[in-house]
This record gives sequence, C-alpha cells and structure tokens, in this order.
Amino acid sequence: MPMNDKEVLVEVKNLNITFGKGKNKFVAIDNVSFDIYKGETFGLVGESGSGKTTIGRAIMRINEVTDGQIYYHGKKINGKITKAWDREITQKIQMIFQDPMASLNERAKVDYIIAEGLINTKNFKDVADRQRKVQNALFNVGLLPEFASRFPHEFSGGQRQRIGIARALVMEPEFIIADEPISALDVSIRAQVLNLLTNIQEKNNLTYLFIAHDLSIVRFITDRTAVIYKGQIVELAETETLFSNPIHPYTKALLSAVPEPNPYKESQKVVEIYNPLQHRYDIAPPSFVEIEQGHFVLANEEEVTNYRAAQKVEVNE
Amino acid sequence: MGLYTEEFDNISDKSRAELFEFFETSDRQAEETAYSNYSYWRSTWQSFLKNRMAVLLLALVFIIVAFTIFQPYLPAQKSPTEIYLDDQTGLQARNIAPNAEFWFGTNSIGQDLWSRIWAGTRTSLMIGCVVALVEAVVGITIGTLWGFSRKLELPITQLYNVVDNIPTTIVLILMSYILRPSISTIIIAMCITGWVEMARFIRNQIVILRDREYNLASKCLGTPDYRIIIKNLLPYLISVIMLRMSLAIPFAIGAEVFLTYIGLGLPISEPSLGNLINEGRVLMMSPDLRYQLIFPSIVLSVITIAFYIIGNAFADAADPKNHV
Amino acid sequence: MVVKKTQSRILAIQNLVIQFTLRGQILTAIRGISLDLYQGESLAIVGESGSGKSVLMKSIMGLLDKNGTIEQGQILYNNMDLAQFTTEQQWLNIRGREIAIVTQDPMTSLNPLKTIGKQIEECVVLHQGLKGITAYHETLKLLTDVGIDNVKKRYKQYPHEFSGGMRQRIVIAIALACKPKILICDEPTTALDVTIQAQILQLLKTLQQKYGLTTVYITHDLGVVAKVADRVAVMYAGDIIEVGGTHEIFFNGKHPYTWALLSSLPQLGTKGEQLYAIKGTPPNLFKEIKGDAFAPRNPFALKIDYELRPPFFQVSETHYARTWLLDPSAPKVEPPAALQAFFEEGRLYANER
Repeated sequence: MPMNDKEVLVEVKNLNITFGKGKNKFVAIDNVSFDIYKGETFGLVGESGSGKTTIGRAIMRINEVTDGQIYYHGKKINGKITKAWDREITQKIQMIFQDPMASLNERAKVDYIIAEGLINTKNFKDVADRQRKVQNALFNVGLLPEFASRFPHEFSGGQRQRIGIARALVMEPEFIIADEPISALDVSIRAQVLNLLTNIQEKNNLTYLFIAHDLSIVRFITDRTAVIYKGQIVELAETETLFSNPIHPYTKALLSAVPEPNPYKESQKVVEIYNPLQHRYDIAPPSFVEIEQGHFVLANEEEVTNYRAAQKVEVNE
Repeated sequence: MGLYTEEFDNISDKSRAELFEFFETSDRQAEETAYSNYSYWRSTWQSFLKNRMAVLLLALVFIIVAFTIFQPYLPAQKSPTEIYLDDQTGLQARNIAPNAEFWFGTNSIGQDLWSRIWAGTRTSLMIGCVVALVEAVVGITIGTLWGFSRKLELPITQLYNVVDNIPTTIVLILMSYILRPSISTIIIAMCITGWVEMARFIRNQIVILRDREYNLASKCLGTPDYRIIIKNLLPYLISVIMLRMSLAIPFAIGAEVFLTYIGLGLPISEPSLGNLINEGRVLMMSPDLRYQLIFPSIVLSVITIAFYIIGNAFADAADPKNHV
Repeated sequence: MVVKKTQSRILAIQNLVIQFTLRGQILTAIRGISLDLYQGESLAIVGESGSGKSVLMKSIMGLLDKNGTIEQGQILYNNMDLAQFTTEQQWLNIRGREIAIVTQDPMTSLNPLKTIGKQIEECVVLHQGLKGITAYHETLKLLTDVGIDNVKKRYKQYPHEFSGGMRQRIVIAIALACKPKILICDEPTTALDVTIQAQILQLLKTLQQKYGLTTVYITHDLGVVAKVADRVAVMYAGDIIEVGGTHEIFFNGKHPYTWALLSSLPQLGTKGEQLYAIKGTPPNLFKEIKGDAFAPRNPFALKIDYELRPPFFQVSETHYARTWLLDPSAPKVEPPAALQAFFEEGRLYANER
C-alpha cells in the first residue's frame, strides 16, 4: 500500500514495561518507539521472549505500561483516561488472538461470542438488528449464517479463527492488532485466513499491527516491519528494504534462518548465528538511528559509521 | 508399492471417458463441516450410564428419598414419636423385636422404629441437602471473588487462613453449645465451616481459567467482570460444583451423627439418623436389642456409600477425556 | 539426491489400515498405506493435522492409543512383522534399540527431577550395556556430539536450567544413546524459535551422517523438508498421495494437493494479490471415503475422483502419485501459474548442476 497517507494513527513513545519488583525485575520492553500510519500493515517480528506480544497487549491496554506513552489519533490511551474515550477506543481498537482453540468461549454459542462486544457497547438498535450484524460479520469472513447457533467445538481451527476475526470486525474498528493470527493453523488454512485479512483490510479501510515470528508471512503481508530482540527494536524499515538490505546482525541472522521451500537453496544454506556480545554497548550505548530514508537501526556511533560506509559501498558496486 | 487396482480394469471404455470429465465443485459444500454431534452434557450422561453400579445406586437413592417423603401417607403407618402401649399389659411396648406390627421393632421407650427410621432419614437428608446448598452458594460466591478480583485476593486469603485453621469440631461444639440444639443450629454450625473447602476449590479453578485467552478477549471487548464470571467461568465449573455437592451431602449427614454422638446433636424428640444410631449404640452389647443399631446403621451406610459412588462416577463421566 | 534402488530396504509398511473406536463410532485413521524406508536415507512425511502422520509413526513404535487397532497390513522390519506384536516385551526390543523417537515438545520429554546426565546415562547403560566410568564418558561424548559445550558442568544440571533448543539437543542425545538404526523425528522443531530450528536441523543432518542413521521426519513445514529430506511422502486423510525424491516433489509434483500445499506458501505469493488457498476442510474420517479423499476441495477434480480411489501412477523410477490426472485418459492439466514459475526456477537450478 502506498505511503501517501502519512497520518499517524498509533504512536508508541519511549515505551518501557517492567514486570516484578526489586530483585525480580524483568524488563520486557526497553525504550521502544515507533509509529503506525493509517491504512498500513505494520509488522512486528521477533522470537519467543522478545516482547512482541507484550507490546501488542500494552496497546490493547491489557498490560500496564511502566513508563512511556501510547497515543491513538494523538490522544494518550495508556494510564488513566476518561470513560468516554475508553469506550471509544474499546470499539476502535480490536485484537485477533493466536490460538483459535483457546480464544473462544466453548460454552457459549457463536452468536453470543461474536455479539459480545456489541452487547457491551450497546451498538445496536434491537435484537433483530444485532442478529443481522452477527450474520453479516459471519458472511464477511466466509462462514455460513446458520453457524451462529452452533458451538465452537463443532468447527475446525481455521473456522474458529475466522469466528475470532468476525468478533473483531463486528465492532467496526479502525485498528486491529493481530497477534500471530495464523501460527496455530494448518499450513493450507493459513492462506485462507491471510487472504481474508487482506480482503477485509481493503473493504473496511483498516490498519493492522501484525505480530509474527514467521518472516515469510511478514514479507507477504506487511508494508513496514520492525524487528524486536529482547525488548528492543533493533531494526525498522519498509518490508522489502528490510529483506533485501538487512543491516543489523540480528536481522541478518534471523533472515538466514528462515527455511525456504527450495531444496537446492536450503541444502546449501549456512546458518548465521547472532552473538549479542559482539556489540560493545557497555562502552558506547546505542540509539535508534536513521541509516537511510525510512530505515532505522539500533546502533552506537561506531556501528553507525560502519553501516553507513557499507551502504555506500553497496550503492557504488 | 501397489499399482493398479482390479476395479480399474473393469471399467468399460465409454464410462471411462465420461468419468474423466471435470466435476463441478461447490464452495458451499466445501464449507459445510463434518457436523460433530458432540454435546458435552449428553456425553457426560452417556458415560455415567455406562457405570452400572452408579446408576443402580442413583436409582436406589431416588427410591429412598421418595420413600421418606411418601412413607407417612402410606396406609397403616405409625407415628414416629408416639409411645405405643402394649394392648395386653397397658405398659410401654419397649424393645420389641421386629414383628408383624412393628416392622423394625420398637425402641427402649416404645416408639415404632420403622417410622422413626424414615422420619430420621428424612431429617438427616434435609439437613444434608440444605447444608450442601448453602455451602455451595457461599463457597462459590466467596471463591469466585477470591480467584477473580486481584484486590480482594489478599483479604480473603487471610480470612481463609484464619477460618481454615480453626478445628471444625471446636466450632461445631461451640455453636451447638451456645444455641440450643435444633435443626437450624446444626445447619448453621455446619455451614459456618463448610464453605471453606468449596471456596478454596472454586478459587483454584478460577485462577486457572481467568488468564485464558478467551477471557482476555472478553476483557478487550469491554465485558464487565460480572458477565465474564457468569458466562465465561462458571459454566466450566458446573460439573465440579455438582460433584462437590454430592459429596457434601453424606459428609453433612456424617457430621450430624458425630455431633449427636458427642451429645450436641438434635434433641431426642426430633428423630434423626444420629439420634437413632446413638440410641442403638448403647444397646449394642445385648444381641436381641442389636436391631436398634443395625437398621439405622444400614440406612446411613447405604446413603453414604451411594452418594460417594454416584459423586465419583459423575466426576469421571464429566471429564471430557473419558468421553470416548 | 536420487535414492538408488540398490540400497537395502530397512522397513516396509504394506497395506496398513488403522482404526480407532471413538464415541461408539469407528474412525479410519490410516486407510491402506504402503511405504518403504531405505537404509541411510532421510525420509520426510508431510501432512497436516488429521492426515494421520503421527498415527503412522506411533504404530511403528507400538505407541498407539488403547482404542486404536491395526486392522490390516504388515510392518516388516528385520524379518519381523511389527503389526503382529501384542506384548510390551516384544516392543521393548524394538523401541530405543532399533527405532528411537524425538518428539515435538522438549519441555515435557525430559524428567524434571533427574539431572540430564543421569537421563542420558540410563539409556547408555540400558541399551549399550556399558557401566560405570565407561558409561559416563560415553555420555559426555554424546553431549559433545549434540553441540553442548562445557559438558562436565552440564552433566550435573537439571532440565529447567536449559533453554528449549538445548533441551531438544538433550532429547536427541538420549535418542542416540540407544544406538538406534532408525531415528524418527516428530515435528522436532515446531516448538522452537526459527534460529534455533535451523541449528537443530543442521545438527540432525550432521548426526545422521556421522552415525549412519536412517531418519524419518514428520512435519507440516515444507521449509524443514527442503532442508533435510532426501525423499518425501505426502499424506492426506490417512493416505499417502504422492511419494518421491525431494526435488521431484517440489519441482515436479503431480497431485493437486501437493500443488495446493506449495502454492499456499507465502514465499510463492505476490504481494498485493491473493494467496492460493485450498477451500474447505479435511474430510470426516468416520465416514467411509469413496474415491479420492481430496476430491471435494480439488479444483481439478474429475468425476472418477468421486468414484474410485486412484492407484499409484509412476512418474519416474522413484516418483509415484495417486491421482487420476496422470491416467492417459485424463485431460491435460497445468499447475497453477504461481507454481509454474517455481517449477521453472527448479529446472534452472537443476540445469546448473
């Protein structure tokens, strides 16, 4: 999607999330900042324990923010906010969860599951209107309207995930946080759900924060991507640039590890291993620096000079 | 590796050509799932029915309960409290062994044991059920709040620690001592300490469930806490609640027997299994009078064993892993 | 790498049918599978959940659930028919010693109460017959082989002190301690991070060559297959629908399901366009399936696909596919456009060699 619309929808500023107190302190997110523009799909990539889910949940306001701010349409959404603003963002920001087996209430009918948000915000005129909205939502995710009276256990993983998407859609949101929405699905079902996500984005003018650990999916669906390692964003760039020209050594290692479905390439590939000790951050702490237009890297001064020099060499070749 | 099957060779040329045309697929057909007709409660009931012993005992319990209710209305039933006089001597019909007139015999002051036993069973069952119900209601309420609300977690934990450490027996004895012995006293006394276990159990279950993704999803949608508890959490707990209640009933009856044994139970004017067993106990040594102990003991044992077996069978049946 | 027919067959599965009794109904999980395993090769069994790949592996190890039975067929190994085994004693000679397994979740495969050194040494003592100090040194050697450093210190540590990737290495060490002939890896890297995944796969490849193992990989991830496998068997709904060398399956696949699997990969997708997606869901295995199980979801389905189960058609000496599209009477069908580009790329690579 072209970057003509530069309106900032979500702004994360100097976010710091620490769990526990005193000796048991665990810094999950360390001084993270990024913007998400309206209409784009922003990818957040990292391995387990990197903190990507924590960021998603912080924007959803499930996790508490220790330090820093999160802005939506320029207004703060973390910490104490007015009831009216709270209601508005509950409707406008929605989340799609990872595990379709765990994210639906087994004892409730699909009708209630999808309508739950509507009931909370009273966003319907009467029962008939509510039922119509539910049927519409089911139709938009490719499910049959009679599924509303069934229970989740009667459906497959892919269908359950689509119910979860319908649940988010029925609220008519602006911004959807998709937390690894296809990792728990079978390989052939992933394509179905991915297609669905791109379709509804166009139809409903949505902005996505797409959290994933699978880089091949990220390359396919996102416009810009941030790579996160142990609570810090180490690189942020337009997706194609990130894949064709990775700068940070962790990004390079991550890319080299992604398995490609090409036996010729794969059997020859040598895995790069990322050693975090190669940086000397105790001597010279790093900051988030723009190496080329729109391409940010976490680096200290020495590394910045090296990276910039390497860029010039590549350009000249 | 197998190659051509036999049927293949038997196809004629014409139908072969026909068969190799494209088949029109429909999207709708592809979307219709294999409708798995699995209903949790139906499977639970079917699993339960497979356990013959439990079903038998359940039927037996129903018969006993029905009988205790209908017994007074049957013809030729005697009153449980009236002291019967022997027709011939005019004296109290004491300690008469079971015969045609007194089916279970009489006790030491001339009361009909048959009607006393059924009256006593009725009283004991009522006490058991009321206590189980009150325990459940109080236990679930406190347990839910304890498990779900982070603010209330600490104060309720302290309350639990205090109440749990007081020996139940002491409380029962104290309550019976302060309030005069009666049915309501016993019920109150048992309820004061009985809720604790149920609360702890519910709290553990809630703690396990509350952080599951579907509850997170509900929170994100802005669902208020009370609705999360009612619609998301409690439905999962119904089977365990029913299990605990079914085990609470014999336990309450047993507690009543115990209290009577130490002299703090119901007054003798109120027949109950505890009273009957107590009365029979003193006569245990004389063989002709042993029946006064045996009959109430049998009834008590049957009820206790039945409820335990039914409760455990239900717990096994309610476990989804056993729904094969 | 083309598997030479002169290689000896180490395991042969013939016409295997496995059924489960579930809620009073019968589910046919494996619907007549025949598969050969050759000495020293690396075979990948690819399938999604419900395809039956795990059930197949469990049947070879005698680990089927209580309600599962082998209705028909044979599993021939070392002049024995494993399908006929009835007692645990018979299986004890096979498990570990001949066939070892590395499972998916390293978190639950290890005993949290014993040091990892002891857990490996147990196997060494049991299966290799070594004792005392010899067993200890053998254990240390295994730990080094699987890429764990500081082995003397690590020997004394407990599973919770290791990360996921390290634990998987320990599980592999335990499997190797038995000196098996066949190593089965059931989704060995699904629970691991992508960087660790690559390292573990590399390790397995190295160990296979070093110890002369025959490895079987069970996975749904085509990237894993591309990295480690010599031969691939594609499973769908309890049946093997295509089998062949890795390059043949990837660049010359013939069954529409194989095409669908490859096409639905995002690597083959063009940004901004829809990915190729298979409609619908896998079939209900409680009902008897007439014809090709994939037919209702197959855009290239022929009428005969609903009537008769396709037999294996030969594509090359090592490549067979169960699809009526290969029958001489069938109409010519081209694979989807995105795949054609992929196949072309494969041909270019092949020519370069």
